[in-house]
Amino acid sequence: MTLSSSATADHIYATGLRNQWHPVVPSHFVAPGGMRKVTALGEQWLLFRRSDGALSMLADRCPHRGAPLSLGKHLGDRVACWYHGVEVEPDGTVSSVPGLPGCSLEGKKLVTSLPVREVAGAILAYFGDEEHPEPAELTPPEPLTDPDVDAFLCYAEWNSPWRYAVENLLDPMHGAFLHHDSHTMFDGDTTAKFRIRETARGYFFEKTDQRGVNFDWVELCRTGVDWVDLSIPYPPSAGPGGPFGIVGMVCPVDERRSGVFFWRYRRVEDWQRASWRFLYRTLIEQRHWDVLEQDRVMLEAMPADADQRENLYQHDLGVVRLRRLYRAEAETQSTAGA
Amino acid sequence: MTDTWPYLDVHQSRTHEPTPYEYKLAATLEEVYTREGHELADVVRGLNARQVHASDGSPWTEESFRAEMNRLGA
Ligand code: FES
Ligand SMILES: [Fe+2]
Repeated sequence: MTLSSSATADHIYATGLRNQWHPVVPSHFVAPGGMRKVTALGEQWLLFRRSDGALSMLADRCPHRGAPLSLGKHLGDRVACWYHGVEVEPDGTVSSVPGLPGCSLEGKKLVTSLPVREVAGAILAYFGDEEHPEPAELTPPEPLTDPDVDAFLCYAEWNSPWRYAVENLLDPMHGAFLHHDSHTMFDGDTTAKFRIRETARGYFFEKTDQRGVNFDWVELCRTGVDWVDLSIPYPPSAGPGGPFGIVGMVCPVDERRSGVFFWRYRRVEDWQRASWRFLYRTLIEQRHWDVLEQDRVMLEAMPADADQRENLYQHDLGVVRLRRLYRAEAETQSTAGA
Repeated sequence: MTDTWPYLDVHQSRTHEPTPYEYKLAATLEEVYTREGHELADVVRGLNARQVHASDGSPWTEESFRAEMNRLGA
């Protein structure tokens, strides 16, 4: 059974919150007419795309005896399990049992299928538990839907728990230290006072005494999918267009792994937009990558019990707030079926 | 496309490995932005002063620079 509502709070906290959308993999990971096996929220899934582009996401588990459907055959509009040939439609309905025509499995919806949507080059899926199969309302991040904003997606896979990856984003102060040797975050005070400012969709965690110099603020946004928005100044070499922003999302893959999605975006038009895109592809993408690698190296090296033996201070308020939020939701979700 | 974990690919935005001409133009453009500013006229003058010309060898005009950026940054 996938995403059971009887999962413990610890399990949910470790493998990702239910009853909301999460990013899974970039859209181009599943070609038209292709399939791809993925892990998300600690479970195995199959992404299946018809040749006309229509995408579906199924539990990677044959309804007959549990073989992975991802080892099966793409039949265009359905998948056939390799083991005994049972055929499953994109909505999870068994369309045929070739070994026993007329078998009672036929016509039954026996495979979990998750609602999916594609946003700015990423596949998002709704992970409801048994009690909440209907998808929550999803408002995609506006920097990714605003036509005046241009964005590039960077996706990477980290051997780090999903929450550490999100906490890293709610911890702007690391920019002035971890990223001190970088193309964008070399500047800014190494001391700061922070505050939390509530918004209708989440909260800001921001410096009270500096803005527009380093990684000085971040907004956690909960709009059906959890994402962060932040802004970092570019050096003059990046040309006209002002700072770049990041929309960040994290896929909880399993207890120890996460997929990170970073859209680097900039509000630019005309030749300035073209110039940024040209420089980004040619030179800047590599530098952004080098910054991200600093995060990966640090997070992957964190001990498994890092969050059990801490001594936090004022800069960690954003992280504390995040944990409280997620922990409370994990508790609620674990008792939803009780 | 690889199925192996982890996926760590530096370049996800490129359509091709940049040519030597593109690398040179990009590097010079960064220098011009840093030293001459961000106005189109200054950028064109800065590139021409550095003798970094269009791929056909002719000096840049605002129109030709704009067109080339739109091609390379599409
Ligand atoms: S296990 Fe899939 S057809 Fe038997
Ligand atoms: Fe970072």
